[in-house]
Parts: sequence; C-alpha cells; structure tokens
Amino acid sequence: MIERFGLASDHFGHLNGPLVLLAMLGLPLLLGLLGGALRPARSWPVALLGLLPLSALIWLAAAVAGGPSQSWTLELGSLVLHWRVNGLVLVLLLLTQLIVLVSALYAPTYLRDVVHATRRSQAWFWPLLGLLAASLSLIWLAADLLLLYIGLELMGLTAVGLLLLPGKADALIAGLRYLLLALVGSLAFLLGVALLLGAWGRLDLAGLAQVADEGIVLWVAMALLSAGLLLKAAAFPLHAWLAPVHASAWIPISALHAGLVIKASFFIALQLWLVLVPAAAVAASLVGVMAGAAVVWGGLMAWRAAKLKDVVAWSTVSQLGYLLLAFPLLVGSDPAVAALAWDGTWLQLAAHGLAKAAMFFATGNLILATGESRVEGLAGASRRFPLALLSFGIAAISLVGLPPSMGFTAKWLLLHAALAGDHWGWLAVLAIGTLLSAAYVFRVFRYSFVEDAPTLDFRPVPWGMDTIALVLALAALLLGLVAEWPLALLRGPGGGA
Amino acid sequence: MPPFQEMLLVAVLLLLAALTLFDRQLMRACSWFVAFALMVALAWARLGLIWLALLEATLGAALTGAFLFHALGATLHFRRPRGFFTRWHDSVDLTWWRALARLLPALAVLGMLGLALSALGVSPTRALRPAGLGLLGLGLWAFALHRHLLRRLLAFNVIGTGIFLILMSLAGEGAVVAGQGLVGTGLVVALLGTALGALLIRRLEGLAPPHHVIPAKGDGVS
Amino acid sequence: MSQAWLPVITLATSLLVAPLIFALPERASRARAVVNLSAAVLKLLLVALMVWGLYQGHRFTFGFTVVEGVSFLLQADALGLMFAGLSSLLWLATTTYAIGYLEDSPNRKRFFGFFSLCVASTIGIALAGNLFTFLLFYELLTLSTYPLVVHRGHDKALAAGTVYLRYTLTGGLVLLLGVVAQHALVGDVAFGQREVLADLGPQAHPMLTVLFVVFLLGLGVKAALVPLHGWLPRAMVAPAPVSALLHAVAVVKAGAFGIVRLVYDVYGISLSHELGLLSLLTAIAVVTILFGSVKALSQQELKPRLAYSTVSQVSYIVLGISLFGPFGTIAGLVHLMHQGLMKVTLFYCAGNYAEELGIHRIDELDGAGRRMPLTSLAFTIGALGMIGLPPVAGFITKWYLGMGAVQAGMPWVIVVIVTSSLLNAAYFLPILHRVWFRQGPAHGRGSWPEERNLGRFETSAWLLLPTAATAMFSLLVGLLAGVPFSPLDLATLMATGEYLP
Repeated sequence: MIERFGLASDHFGHLNGPLVLLAMLGLPLLLGLLGGALRPARSWPVALLGLLPLSALIWLAAAVAGGPSQSWTLELGSLVLHWRVNGLVLVLLLLTQLIVLVSALYAPTYLRDVVHATRRSQAWFWPLLGLLAASLSLIWLAADLLLLYIGLELMGLTAVGLLLLPGKADALIAGLRYLLLALVGSLAFLLGVALLLGAWGRLDLAGLAQVADEGIVLWVAMALLSAGLLLKAAAFPLHAWLAPVHASAWIPISALHAGLVIKASFFIALQLWLVLVPAAAVAASLVGVMAGAAVVWGGLMAWRAAKLKDVVAWSTVSQLGYLLLAFPLLVGSDPAVAALAWDGTWLQLAAHGLAKAAMFFATGNLILATGESRVEGLAGASRRFPLALLSFGIAAISLVGLPPSMGFTAKWLLLHAALAGDHWGWLAVLAIGTLLSAAYVFRVFRYSFVEDAPTLDFRPVPWGMDTIALVLALAALLLGLVAEWPLALLRGPGGGA
Repeated sequence: MPPFQEMLLVAVLLLLAALTLFDRQLMRACSWFVAFALMVALAWARLGLIWLALLEATLGAALTGAFLFHALGATLHFRRPRGFFTRWHDSVDLTWWRALARLLPALAVLGMLGLALSALGVSPTRALRPAGLGLLGLGLWAFALHRHLLRRLLAFNVIGTGIFLILMSLAGEGAVVAGQGLVGTGLVVALLGTALGALLIRRLEGLAPPHHVIPAKGDGVS
Repeated sequence: MSQAWLPVITLATSLLVAPLIFALPERASRARAVVNLSAAVLKLLLVALMVWGLYQGHRFTFGFTVVEGVSFLLQADALGLMFAGLSSLLWLATTTYAIGYLEDSPNRKRFFGFFSLCVASTIGIALAGNLFTFLLFYELLTLSTYPLVVHRGHDKALAAGTVYLRYTLTGGLVLLLGVVAQHALVGDVAFGQREVLADLGPQAHPMLTVLFVVFLLGLGVKAALVPLHGWLPRAMVAPAPVSALLHAVAVVKAGAFGIVRLVYDVYGISLSHELGLLSLLTAIAVVTILFGSVKALSQQELKPRLAYSTVSQVSYIVLGISLFGPFGTIAGLVHLMHQGLMKVTLFYCAGNYAEELGIHRIDELDGAGRRMPLTSLAFTIGALGMIGLPPVAGFITKWYLGMGAVQAGMPWVIVVIVTSSLLNAAYFLPILHRVWFRQGPAHGRGSWPEERNLGRFETSAWLLLPTAATAMFSLLVGLLAGVPFSPLDLATLMATGEYLP
C-alpha cells in the first residue's frame, strides 16, 4: 500500500522539489492575495488567472509522467520535511484546482448580485480561498506528519474563516461550533502524532511505515489520529456539526467544503491506516460499521430534511459513508479486492467532489431563483428554471450512482470489491445507500414537477452561474464512461503497484 | 532540575490551570490563564527550550490573553468587562452527578494515554509528563462540563498546553527539533483559534441581543 | 471503418436530439416537430441499413473500455436489430401521435426532450452488446421515463411516479448487483458468448441458478411479471402517448427483451434448460398471463384494462422463450414485435377516444364506432389480434406458442393459452360490442362526456394517422408472415441459429 501512496522513499525526484511545492502552494496564495486586492467583479479575469495554477499542475503532471513517483526532502537544520508526487497526488491536485477554479468563477457574480457581500468580506474571501487551495495542496503533497499537521490546521482555520464570512448570527454560531470541533480534532491529531514521535522518533510516513511495530502505543496513537480526523471529516457519529455549517454558508464555500475539505481529513486518515496499520482488518470493519450507519442515517435525514441545503448537506454525510467503506475494503484485504477498492475509492472521491459541488451550485441557483430555501418551495420549478433543475438532476444521477455517471462507475468498483472479498455487509450498505439517495433526490424532483403551484415571482439566474453548475454536473456524469482516463492518471507515475 | 522544584512547578501549573478553568468569574479566569501561560513559558525555559519559551510567552500569554480580554470586552482603559458573556452563566445546572459523568471521557482518554505512555518507558524530562497528563485531564473535563464558549476556548488552550508538554516529554534526543516544529505550529493554531473565537464572540455580541445567541440547546457534545 | 460507427450514429440520432429539443424555446413547436420527425425517420433508415447489412453478413460492433475489465459495447445482432427496428418504427408513430396529442398543452419541451432520451435508451438497450451496456441504458430508461409519467404534475401522477420509481430503481439495483456478480464470476462477457457460463461446470450451477433469479428479479420489474407488476396499472395516469410507449416499446418491452437476452445470450438456452430455469420461467409466465387477464376483466376503465392486458400479453414472450424448442423461441421473439404493434394501436385508440370524446370508462363507449369509425376499426383489429384471431399478428404468436408447447413436451400449456385467449375475448369482445352494436350518443342517445372536434376527420389527423398505420402493420405482419424480412422470418432465422449452431 505504501507504494500506492508514492511513499517508497528510494526514488528521489529529478525535479526541483521546492519549486514544485512553491508552484503548487504559492500560486494559489498569490492569486488569492491579488483577488483580495482587486475584488474582481466579473468571471473572465478570474478564469484567465485561474488557468495559471492549472497550467503549473499540467506542467508537473507532464514532468513526472511515465516515471516512478517523485519524493523530495528539505532539511532545515535538523528538521527534515518530506513531500512527494505520484498519480494519486496528481489526481487530487487536479480535482482541487478544478473545484477551486469553478468556485472562484462562480463567486464574483454571486458575491456581487446575490448576497451583496460587503467590500470587507469580499477582500477576505479571495485570500482565504487561495489559502484553502494552498493548504489542500499541501495535504495532498505532504509525506510527513509535520507537514500534514500544518496543512490540516491551515485548512481547518481557513475553512472556518470562509464559513464565517456571511457574518449573520446563525453563520457565526455554526462557525463557532465548527471551530471548537476542528480545534478539538486537531488536538487529538497532535496527541497521536506526539505518541508516534515519542515512540519512534520520526515523522516521515515512509520511515514510520518501516519502523512502527504493532503495539499499544501504535493503537492508541491511531485511535487518537483517527478520532481527530474523522471528527473533521464529519464521519458518523461525529457529523452533527455539518448541516448547520452549510445551512448558512455561501454557496461556493459550501461547494468547496463538501467537495474538498472533508475529503482531506478522510485522505489523511486512510493514508495513515494503510501506511501504519495495513493489516488491521478488525478495526477497519469497525470503521465500516460507522460507514454503514453514516450511509443510512445521512440518507434518512436527507430524506426528511425540510430545507434544500440541508438535503444536500446530509447527503454529504451519507456519501462520506461510501468513502469510509474504503477502510474495511482496503485495510487487511487481499490484493485483488484492494486493487478494485483502491480505484473505486478515489473515483468515488472525485465523483462526489464534482457532483456535490455541482449540486451546491445548482441548489444555490434554485434558491436564488425561487427565493425559497425549503424543498416545497420548488413546486413547479421544472417549468420555470429547467436549467438549474437539470444541473441538479445530473449531479444527482452521479450522487445516487446511476449510470453512466462517475458515481456509478465508482460504485460498480466498490460493489465488485465487496463481492470479490465476500463482504456481504458492505454490499448491503452500498445497496441501501443507493435506494436512500434515490429517495431523497427524487423527493426534490417530485416537488419540482408539481403543476398547480402558485406562480410566485422569481428572479432569473445569471447565465454564467447556471452554466457553471451544468458544466460541473456534466463532468461528473460523463467522466463515468471514460473513467479509464482518471484511473490512468491515478496509476500514472509510481502508481502501477 | 531538582525533584522538589520540579514538583513545585507541576503543582503550580496544575493549580493555575484549575483556577483558569473553574473560576466563576471570567475576568479572573482569563487573568489566571495569562499567569498559567507565563508559567508554562518558564517551564520551557528551564528545560532549555528557549525558542518555545519565547513563543509561549508572546503567542500563548500575551496575544492569546489579549484576545481573551477582547472577547470579554475589556480594554486597557476600561477594565470592567462589558460583554454579555461576563454575566452569562452556563445554562446547565452543575450537579455533582453531572460533573462526575462529564469526567468519564476525560478519564477514558487519560487511561488510554497512560497505557500507551507506560509502554514507552521513562524520559529524562519526566516531570513534564504527569503535568501534561494532569492538564489534559483537567482541560477535557472542563471542556465537557462547560457550555460557555469562552470557557471552552480556555479549556481548549489548557488541553493544548498539556499536549505540548506530553509531546516534548516524549520527543527523544533526535526528535527535539521536530517536536518543536509541531509545538510551534500548535501554538500558532491555538492562537489563531482563540483569536477567531474571540472575534466571533464579539461579532455575535454586536449582532443580536444576548438571549438570541445563546447556543445552549441541543448542543450535544459539540 | 464506418460500420463500427453505424450503431453509435443510430444511438446518437435520438440521444443528441434531446439537448437540441431542450435548447429550443417552448413556443417553437413547429421546429420541434421537424427535428423530432426527421430524427425519427433518420433513425428508421439507419436501422434499416443495419438490417440490410446484417443480411449481407456485415458485423457492426463498437466498444471501448470504461474501467479495467468493464467495457461499453454496442453490437447489432439479429435480436437487437429486431427490437431496434420495432422501437424506431413505433417512435416515429408515437412522435407523430404525441405532437397531435399534446397540441397546446404546457411543458411540451420537457416532454419531447425526455421522450427522445427514452427512445435513445431503448435503442441503447437493443444494441447493447454486453450486460454492462444493457444496464447502463436500462437505468437511463428509468430516469428518462419518470418525467414522462409525472408529466401531468397532479397528485395522482406524482404518486404514480413515486411508485414507478420505487419499483424500477429497486429493480435496477438488483440487476446491478447481478451484473456485478457476473463480472466478479467470469469477467466481461459479450452477449452471445454463452459458452463462458456453460463451461463453469456443474459445481457452479447452484450459484448460476441464484444469479439467474437475481437477474430475473431485476428484469421482471420492468417486464411487469407478477408479483412485480404493481407499478404498471398506476402509471396509467400518464398521457396516452407515454402509456403507449411504456407498454408497447420501452419499459415493459425492455424488461422482456432483457429476459430474452438473459436466456439466449447470457446463459444460453441449453444451460437454462439444464438448470431447470425454463420451468421456473414457464411457471411465472403462466401465473402472470392468467392473473393479468383476470384482473383486466374487473377493470371498468379503458386504460387500466389495457394495462392489465399488457401484464398478461408481455408474459407470452416469456412463455415462448421458456418453451424449449425452436417453435417456442419463434413465438416469443415474434410476439416481441406483435405485442408492440397491437398494444400501441390499442393505446392510440384509447387516447383518441379520450381526446376527441372525453371517454375514459368502458361503459361510455356505446356507439363510438359510428362517431369514430377509423379509430374503432383500428381498435377492433388490435383487440382481435390480442385475442389471437387470424389473420391479425396475434394469431401467429399463439399458433407458434401452441406448437412450441407440444415440442417442449408441455401440452398443458396449450390449456393455459386457450384459457387466456378466452379471457382475452371476455374482456375485449364486450368493448367491441359496445363500440359497434350499442346505441349511443352518436345515435342521438345521451351525450359524450366531453366532445371536442379536433380535426376535419373524426379526430385530428396527427392522432388518426399513426393509429391507422400501426393497425395496418398489425394486420400486415399477420397476413404477410411468410414473406422474407417479416418479423416471423427474422425470428425463425434467429431460432434456427439458436438451436442449429
């Protein structure tokens, strides 16, 4: 498993490591600061500048293509930092860049016309967005616990900052609660890291993987690390903070948060498990039980939710359950099962990232158009704003996992893995999750097809915002058929283990 | 460090932490916190970790303290706190039974940690470890007990300090720098967290009358 | 090679029409009609081209890998082309009908957009070359029909839509599990590679039996096999063209077609026979046939009666393929076509009565033959076909079914067929009696529930033309069954290929 994460330490990169780090972290940060200074009112300058980090990423992908995974170290005195690039990291970086770029494109019109953001909160928005992108990139790239810790903290605090920007009382309260939980989570993480450092005197993952031996220390450390990370990832039963946070946040931030931020914690947790306790099948099935509960409970709550945004937020809890199934399917399972589950997990992560972001954008458009945040408020929506509803629908196809979407292909792989490993319980979880997600998604549609609704006045949505939601949703839909392409990237440099 | 001084330091730290966490008056609690942070800085200095001591003194004591007072609405000129948080009591009745029940999670973490630590063996700076464990326990208990936002921030800071102490006590010869890196990051995070929390509390106060913003009901563990 | 692209282009004709229709404004009904009709004609031509190519010995396959071990595969074989031909022919007819039917009603853009998607899925199902591709379009069909079922947007339609989804999505999920299990077992297998499962040997037989039942549960929902038929009568609230589509071409037929594929192209008829699965199918089919007919008898409204008749009639297909022997196969395959033509005619007629005269209940039909002679004639042809009277298409089916039963050594099936035909007669003949021989508003007694004069003829030409055309086709495929290229000829070709390798 350690090779799959590109942590095998014997290939040192032929590229300039600090330059890679600078390009991936510095560019978004710089652009964020620029955005904060200029406060763009239109999308096209954002699009132009946003291509910069994307092209840097493409350069990186081209430079490492075909070779083994690349890892670098930087020595600051006796402190050594480690980072690496492999296929998985490239996929995650690409996903991050895309969703951040799309959110940035959505933001100018949204901030100006929809929420009428103050100059001050606009000036904060862009740098924080850049910082969020940088910290996410850091998390994907980091190969030691110190960098991971820094990235995680940076991301958590930036996310809180972004969630607070609306400045309304309920946003503040939800944000405060999120802040406290994030802080507690990071303390648990730090304590776990402290134990690892104390026991083996090193923080680099590759080194730890070699020296760490099973024992009470490793178990307690893993328990603490996982608890902290799963709290941040809103894994059941530590998910209660998620829905209120989304209820009052700005749309692009919700999209980023659900699409990327909680995935980062999941990514770190999975990486630590596979690197440090790759054979802990029993503990992993415990996580699997949590996953099952998340899928069912999240689905039920989404089904019952009265507000449209709550539906989407609870669906995140449920969908995260699918991702958590990666633990029992990957940890301690045989290689054939693990190979399928590996592809399925990352595909599911990307699919959910794209689809959930698209769904949040579509939801934002629907709420903007109807002026109603309740699901009932959508009555007759199919006639009046078909485009927003279509985007919502296409994103929903991927969330439910119906063909030909990316979510379907991911679910196919996970189902295949569960069958191949004779994990009937996880199979049932996937099946129930599909039905529940169909139930909550089609509940929304049911309202939108109501014909005898009172025709309230509605606001037209700027076409740019509609287009963004639609394009993102289509990406989630069509990438399912050509899933071989992201998977090829995943298996790219150093991934063909 | 002679055992007596060591013991004294630990005792003072624990006492200050307890005062910080359980003093009924918030203004005093915050002052205790500043004293506590300075004491921690002293502890770092005595261990020869000068950088950490400096960081703790500036970030932990000075800046965090400033933000805490800011949250209370107190300034240099206006010492009497004005914010509604000063007058706001926990909406939960503190009974002995409840206090004991809330002690359980803290004890669970401590027990787990104790098991792991006992497996790790003894370190030269051994006084730090019980101190850290004690702070951790106190902080966790306070965090579970209080609903008050500011008190939770204080508890968070105390837990953090406990973890830093444990971390440095665990970091062996080769890992001191890495440990310092982690603690340094942790300190910055704690400061930023406290600052965000404090600013938030002020914003909340500015936005709505107090009875609207008390997030006490249905709060759960969070 | 252009031949590889022919299935793709065929699929694209309706798949790409959908976004085009969504892009057109609601008011542009004329442009929409032109787009719809020209796409339908184009597709019919393309399918005809492929049929011709097939007779010439060309092979049309197109495929690419989706993920490792899973591929998207389109291929045009005889069975697929038969279904594709049926659906493109009926698409043309139903589009014409729908244009007339929905004139001046709201949400036509949405309707025709999803209508195109629905037909695209049907074509996809027909041309699918493996189970994965089949599943893909099978689910797409569910999604694209939902907006059509709830099109009216009132409570009853929405409730029917919910029931529909509950059944079909669960069925789709079960099918998905089956397909994944099949992939886990033997990997990616194209339709027609029957030896793969057969070669697994006897120790795999229990598992294969379970897998077959899983597949059957997944497909049986759409095929409305008892007891999975509950959605079908409720989906009757949809507009008439949708009902016609659901019953004759798309949904029900997709399920039946899936079962045909399952038996012939996945398991192979000999393996199915060996595992005793054919008897299972026979039993289910017999129960469904009799249950559907009995339920149809008790319906007082026209469309629900037709709906239960569909439940019964579709199972003739299943019954046919479950009879081991060429004649049974021929009966099953040919009924795939025949039932489509006859049932679509009946639904068009029901729609005509409802649109022109506001008739929904059977007892309102008195004397309708005088007011709407052509529609009533078409209805009569369809109904007689359903009963199985020569020379209408249904007779061919029943004749071959009977021969198949004898060949398979199950003569008791003939009793079932006769009973079912008697029941068919019992619920269709009273309607015909009312239409032609009772005195009604057309004779000056009482009045029609809601009469509208939609056109120069007995009703709008858009409605009348497709009705007449499909009725004529039902008659012609029965009369000219022995001519080359007729459905019977195609089915015989396939059945011979099945049993004489």
